[in-house]
Order: sequence, then C-alpha cells, then structure tokens
Amino acid sequence: MQNFIFLIDRFDGTNSWRQRYEFPHKPGMTVLTCLIHIKENLDPTLNFTASCRSAICGACAVRVNGNALLACDTMVDDLREQWGDGPLTVSPLGNAEVISDLVVKWDEKVNRLRLANPGLHAKKEFSAHEGCRQAPQDMQAIQKQWDCILCGSCMSECNKLSDSSKDFLEPFTYTHAARYAEDSRSRNPLEHMENMEKSGMWKCLHCMECVTKCPKGISPAGAIASLRELAFKAGHTDGPGPRHADAFRTDLENTGRLNEVKLVPRTEGMVSAATKRLPFTLRMFARGKLGPVEAARLFVADNHRVEDHDGLKRILKANRK
Amino acid sequence: MQKTYAFFPGCVLHAAAKEAETSAVAVAKRLGINLKEIPGWTCCGASHVQDIDPETALLANARNLALAERMGLTLVTACSTCALMLRQAKATLLDGRLDWANERLAEAGLKLEGTVEVRHLLWELADGCDEWAAKVSHPQAHLRVAPFYGCHTVRPPQVMDYESHLNPQSLEKVIRACGATPVTIPERLKCCGFHAVFPAETSAHRLTASAVNSAAEAGADCLLTPCPLCHMQLDMYQPDALSTACGDTPVPVLHLTQLLAMALGLDAKAIGLGRHIVDTKPLLASSGSA
Ligand code: SF4
Ligand code: SF4
Ligand code: FES
Repeated sequence: MQNFIFLIDRFDGTNSWRQRYEFPHKPGMTVLTCLIHIKENLDPTLNFTASCRSAICGACAVRVNGNALLACDTMVDDLREQWGDGPLTVSPLGNAEVISDLVVKWDEKVNRLRLANPGLHAKKEFSAHEGCRQAPQDMQAIQKQWDCILCGSCMSECNKLSDSSKDFLEPFTYTHAARYAEDSRSRNPLEHMENMEKSGMWKCLHCMECVTKCPKGISPAGAIASLRELAFKAGHTDGPGPRHADAFRTDLENTGRLNEVKLVPRTEGMVSAATKRLPFTLRMFARGKLGPVEAARLFVADNHRVEDHDGLKRILKANRK
Repeated sequence: MQKTYAFFPGCVLHAAAKEAETSAVAVAKRLGINLKEIPGWTCCGASHVQDIDPETALLANARNLALAERMGLTLVTACSTCALMLRQAKATLLDGRLDWANERLAEAGLKLEGTVEVRHLLWELADGCDEWAAKVSHPQAHLRVAPFYGCHTVRPPQVMDYESHLNPQSLEKVIRACGATPVTIPERLKCCGFHAVFPAETSAHRLTASAVNSAAEAGADCLLTPCPLCHMQLDMYQPDALSTACGDTPVPVLHLTQLLAMALGLDAKAIGLGRHIVDTKPLLASSGSA
C-alpha cells in the first residue's frame, strides 16, 4: 500500500501555510491516529484537539478534502476508497475562527447556543419528589437530538452560515432548541423557539449539508422544520418565511399545484409585488418566461384543478377528522 | 432505450421552467423513452409545506406515489427537490406510516404498497449514456460547461443515494457524452439559495452570484443544472444576484436536457432556448463563439 500523504492547513496565529507529511500506510488507522502519529513522530508543533477517541466528546472534528468528519471515527482506508490513494487535505472546521492549525474557537458559538434557552423547565404537574414521567414514544421523538456531541460538523459546510453568521446560527443550536421545545415534559415549548425565530430560523436554505455531515445521524434541518411548524401552529404566521410556506399549502389544497403568479404577493404582499418585484416581472414577460394573458388569468382565477382533486380533498379532510 | 416511465414534471415544469419540460419531452422522444405524465399529480410540497404541515405534505406525496404505482411504472422526475420530497416521503411511509396513509388514501380509492421506484431523470440519462451517446449527431465540442448539481440532487445521501455525494460524476458523464468539456467550479455542489430567496434574499443572491462569477472566471460558456429550481435561481435571478454581489459577466444556464437536445441536433426553438433570462445565443455553434 502507498504511503499516507496528509496536506495539513497550518496557522500559527500570524502565518498560514499548507504542510505535507508522508508516513507509511498501516491498516486500521483513523484520521486521528494519523494526526497523533504526525505529532509524536514527525512534527510536535502540530495542534489539534481530541479527547475520547470514541466519537463521544466531539472534540476531534476536522475537514478532509473540504468535508467535516470526526477524526477518531473515520478510517483513512475508507477515505481512500472515496478519494483515491493520493494526498488528503486536512483543514480546520469551516465557518469557525481558527486559533491554531486545526483548533477552532468555540466561545462565541457556545454563547450563541444559550439563545436556545437550553435546559428543561418542567410542566407544573411534575415535582422534584415525583420526577418527570415521559411515555416511551414521547422520548423517542427527541432521543436522536440528544445524541448531539457538539462536534460542529453540521456548521462546517452550512451554506447559509458560510454566507453570513450575522443572521443565522450554527445548525446545532436549532437542534438544541428543538429538543427542549419538542419535549413532552416542557412547560413552555415556545421559550426555546422564539429566539430561534429571531435568529434565522426561516433563513435556512434547505441545503442539507448539516444532516449530511452529522456523525450522529441528526438532522438540524429537520429540527429547524419542526421549530417552524411549532411557530406556525402557535400563530406566528407573518413574515416572508411562513407566508411563503403557507402559499404553497394553499395552492396544494385549492388546486393541487403551485400558482407562481400569486406566490410573490402572498409571500411579500401586493405592494412589494407591484413595486420591488416589478423589474423582475417585466423581465419575465420580456423573455417569454411568463405570458401576460396567462399571468392575468392565474392572478384573477387560479390553476385548473388537477384530475381527481376531490379525491385529494377527501384524503386531507379524513386526516383532519 | 425503449422505456416507459410514470412522469412527474413538478409544478415549475408547468410554469416558469416550461422549457425544461419541452426539452425533456423532446429528448425522451428522440431517445425512444416514453414519459407518461401521471394523471392528477400534485405539488410535492417543495420542502415548504413539509415545514408547516408535514402530514398534508406526506399525504399529498403518498397520493402521488400511489398514482404512479397504479401505472405499474417507475416514477421519474426532472426536478431535484421533487425527487427528494418523493423519496423522503416513500422512506417515511415505509418506516411505519403506510397503514396510516392507506386509511386516508382509501377515501380516493387509492392504495400504496410502497413498491414504486422514484428516480431522477439525471440518473436515467447517466445510466443510459453508453446507449444514447451513439445518437449524438451534433457534439457540442465548442462548449465548456460548468456542472452545478443542486443540493437535493445529492443530499442527504441517505435518501439521494444514486452516487457519491462528495464527488458525483453523473453530470460530467452526460456533458462528455454530449461532446462538451466539463469545467469544475468550487460551487459545483453548493447551494443556489432558491429555497430561501424570499426570507434570505441577500444570501441567496450572493450564493447565485458566486456560482456565476466562478463559472465566468473559469472560462465556462455556461452552467448546467439537472434541477429546474436551481435553474430559476441561477437564470431568472441572475441579474439581481450580479447587482447584489458586483458581478459583471452574465453566464447562461442550461437545463440538463437542453444540452442533450443540442447534442441530438434538436431545434433550439423547440427546446425553449429563447425562454431564458440570460441570453443563450452565444452557446449555439453557428454563433461563432467556438
Ligand atoms: S439545511 Fe439549513 S441549517 Fe442545514 S446546512 Fe443547509 S442552510 Fe445550514
Ligand atoms: S448536530 Fe451532529 S454534527 Fe452538529 S454538533 Fe451535534 S453531533 Fe455534531
Ligand atoms: S476524540 Fe472525542 S469525538 Fe473524536
């Protein structure tokens, strides 16, 4: 077997560079055992974090060829199956400030995590003496999210976070909010959701990087969806996010298909549709993306109802009984 | 290829992305593929209905799947979000919600066994590459094409498991079979921003601009996507995106089947090349851009 070649992104506080390390292949090595091998035998100045070596502490997440993973839980031979036997590039997690080499800064992220109001505030009927009983199926609903080890893999390639962290949180923060909000023992689920609503909950792009990268199979995007559902059902239906989603549901129920002409006014209101979006609409007409006659018909009337739309209505009605 | 599919066009192929439907149908016809539209299909929920009313979305998709299953054919869709929503729904239904759904589907005389396969048109075309490559009469050798997969084409890999989500090659395969040259851009597997273009408009536009600017810098003649929603974002919103993020070189965006149609020598009008916001004329071999 060919030697392992690691190209590691280094940073000493001032300078950044990419450094090459080559060492003999041994079967059964994880990314972490390789990093330890480098530090012990080739370069004691290399910095990285790790502790449990058992995929429990969450300290060892890094990026290999641009994708986050747990160093202690990833076999290099498996990586070679994906990427071939050539060099592997190892870099610190994305969407995080680098302190040194593969070590990133967590302080600010932990502060932002507090926005989720982590911690269970139990319903009145529970007491310290009696405890908080929970049915098995209620526990199952939140069990997965309790597996979060705060490794940060979900934030590393989050497309929304890469664009801006000013109006969006690390995906795991939504996971933590959802696990309290959805807990059947929670006194006030909304107290975990409301800060999320103010901090980007409707701005998730549905890019699915978080669920793809989570080593514990958790879906932060799914947590965001359940927080949105909670908000919507609690009557928080204003704003472009909820209105947009509601427009889709209205069309699905009314005719079966999306009415693209009504989508903008339903999402942003008539004024915006008629002013801010005007250049867009005119462009659509000019290039034949939308015919004015058809647009007018869709605006005053609607799509034709799909075949057996009555059947669809009966199905949905049966569910609301 | 002589195959018949239950075709799920999805809402936008009947609306702003009509050209994606015309070109899919034209290509299918030329390749001997029969796309039989599923009668009465509805919106897949587009990930939005799923957010606020997951049961309504799940039932609508149970109905969509049951309609296709009744045809006894593999369901094929030309939209990545539709593919993900339908595949996700099938997985959820098979994981303990099938009886629940069937009780309700019975109201419309439908029943779902859960045997129907859900495939992306991209996967069928990539699998059939060796067969149809022989029919390529107009190799697009003058074109450098930047593939843009779109998130839901490959993620999450638990549901979209056709190929490696870290390094998919199906689009490159199709591009090469059309005689064109793939050009890799850093945004190849990134998000176009479409699903949050209203609540996170600036982010969406910057993501779009980033893909367009990279394609321009890499000397690509066009972007190519298998997802009509990515297409809407990258093409329809491109002027706004470039003005948000200070890009100055527009890059045309092709639907997957449009490139194929060009390689098969189909008429540019018939495949809606004029229905784009960013001008596609420079892509035609006769325009002298070669
Ligand atoms: S789905 Fe949303 S939270 Fe998850 S990575 Fe994408 S933008 Fe971030
Ligand atoms: S949700 Fe998953 S990827 Fe994100 S921090 Fe928790 S364990 Fe890590
Ligand atoms: S070292 Fe603890 S999770 Fe890897």
